[in-house]
Amino acid sequence: MKKLLSMLLASALAVSMLAGCGSKANTDANKGDAAEGDKKVYKVCNLVNGTLGDKSFFDSAQAGLEKLKADGRIDFKTIEMGGTTEDQAKWQGYLEEVSASGEYDLIICGTYQMPDYLKNVAEQFPDQKYLIYDDTTYTLPNVANLSYAQNDLGYLVGVYAGAMTTETSVEGINEDAVIGFVGGVDSPVINDFLYGFILGAQNSNPDIKIDTRYVNSYVDPAKAKELAESMINDKKCDIIWGVAGNSGNGAAEAALETGKAYFIGVDSDQELTFSPEMAAITLTSGLKNIGNSLVWFFDEWDKGVEHFGQQTLLGMKEGGIGVVTDKNYDSKTPAAVKEKVTAAIDAISKGEVVVPTAIGNETNEVQQLRESVKP
Amino acid sequence: MFEQLINMVFSASFGYSIIRITSPILFAALAAVVAEKGGVVNIGLEGIMMISALFGVLFSYWTNSWLLGVLGAVVIGILVAMIMAVFALKLKTDIILSGIAVNLLGGGGTVFLLYLFTGLKGNTASLTTPNMLTPKIHIPLLKDIPVIGQIFSGHSVLTYVAFLLVFLVWILLYKTAMGLRIRAVGENSHAADSVGVSVLRTQYIALAISGALAGLGGAYMSMYYSQSWNIGIVAGRGFIALAAQAMGQGEPVGAMLASLLFGFASALGSKMEGMQGFSSYLVASIPYAVTIIGLVIYALSTLKRVKRFRDKAK
Repeated sequence: MKKLLSMLLASALAVSMLAGCGSKANTDANKGDAAEGDKKVYKVCNLVNGTLGDKSFFDSAQAGLEKLKADGRIDFKTIEMGGTTEDQAKWQGYLEEVSASGEYDLIICGTYQMPDYLKNVAEQFPDQKYLIYDDTTYTLPNVANLSYAQNDLGYLVGVYAGAMTTETSVEGINEDAVIGFVGGVDSPVINDFLYGFILGAQNSNPDIKIDTRYVNSYVDPAKAKELAESMINDKKCDIIWGVAGNSGNGAAEAALETGKAYFIGVDSDQELTFSPEMAAITLTSGLKNIGNSLVWFFDEWDKGVEHFGQQTLLGMKEGGIGVVTDKNYDSKTPAAVKEKVTAAIDAISKGEVVVPTAIGNETNEVQQLRESVKP
Repeated sequence: MFEQLINMVFSASFGYSIIRITSPILFAALAAVVAEKGGVVNIGLEGIMMISALFGVLFSYWTNSWLLGVLGAVVIGILVAMIMAVFALKLKTDIILSGIAVNLLGGGGTVFLLYLFTGLKGNTASLTTPNMLTPKIHIPLLKDIPVIGQIFSGHSVLTYVAFLLVFLVWILLYKTAMGLRIRAVGENSHAADSVGVSVLRTQYIALAISGALAGLGGAYMSMYYSQSWNIGIVAGRGFIALAAQAMGQGEPVGAMLASLLFGFASALGSKMEGMQGFSSYLVASIPYAVTIIGLVIYALSTLKRVKRFRDKAK
């Protein structure tokens, strides 16, 4: 009994320790494979403030880097720093360590959680180059900020959802022009999605009503489920866009369990991450293509165009955003709706439609718009 | 606007929501009640729920049976509680510290375990099959009664277990020898010791029961409420349960009422967010505001009672 107990305790201890430092497991062992061409082979360090396998930003970034590596353009190492509150304490340490090593031409990190840590370190190491994706908090001479036109992305999804919600020929769609938006937190970035979403939906149907609710957490699908069920049962929403990280899955579950609504995913192709039942009610996903944007960044760098010290907004044209158009989208969407979406994609890439942004907008236009379209 | 709110509140789906929101908190609150009665504070409920929630999904995935998944979650809940117990009771660390350690393990260790067993890292949404989810029970006869049927029928089997457990925990604490020992140890461990009750053994048992209850709460989160496990899925419900236990004066029925109050406030918040002019920040604070108001009313009534009692004594 005693032996068993001590083994148990030891393994529990080992688990908690490994959880902390298991992150180093994903180093790329086979360095030096990269073909030495004429072009410079950049050495890149990718710091993930979470873990790979999120089927979203981190995996997308990793895929982009792997593509660059396969083309012999970079050599990279990914460090998974872990995403829990306890791990956060170590993020700055990781940044300092890789910066101090001086080994890398570029250090990549991303998401809204990183800017403060990066700022401290980037100021300490002015000669080190950094790239942060999906953040616009500040500009430093040695940091390149890549952000994604989520308002344009929202517009495309809005055009689609606004047109779909009255297509009663599609099973499960009711005649009311009411759609829903489940956001993570009432913050500028989430509202940027919302801004485009509302305008896009209004473009498809001027009388559209949009029920917007926020979970106030990115990891509480149960709460999102309650919100979405209320939207479906009380307001007759038949399409819900979840922009709330893991919480968004709760909205998809509500759509599945009530059987009266469809779900739209965000950031990555969520149909691929769901069980078959949930994938079946997911119509499409709005994509932020982090991987593509990194490839674009190195294309530019090779051409001699440097984006350090700038805010670079990537849209449709650079491949930074997009919507999923195969699978359910292809099989469930009527041709007329598809045409509208294609037209919208075209208009956005050509710059014919300019969607205003919620970021840095201090006049609360989104909030007013949000209230005005509530059912 | 208020008409809209009233329409939403007096709907069957509102009642259904309250029960669904209450259940996981109730499981954990009962877990807190049993531990507290035995004189140990189980602050690790959040972590136990997180770990059990993960193993519930994993066991049901491996066996393709929700029942084995729930049993697995309970066993893991007991196991984690026992690890805590060994540290706190045998090795004499502060129980609060070992509780915090379990919560930390629940946050980061679960991701590691998930990766170890499945290769996934964020959530288990891709593993879910209908067999893995606890079934909904449609109670015959009751389900045909309008409104009441819609509110009380069609919940997960675990929901009914949660409310049944309020009664069972009460019986355990007040009608069995084991319950008497647990209460005696919690009330005054030296007195209990002097009459030959093994304090250590009793507290181990109290924590094991507490772990099993929290394990059920974890299974509820990942195998019914949400259809998969993800990082941070319990989202503070283990801590809310500690508050519910305190608010309910450490009694099973009191904890149930406190959990229901919290469920009511939370369901109200979800509905109110859909109305015009309510900021999500304001709505998010409703459950906590209701809790504080509840505590104030309770404290005032207790004060009054004490005063009346004193007046009489004079």
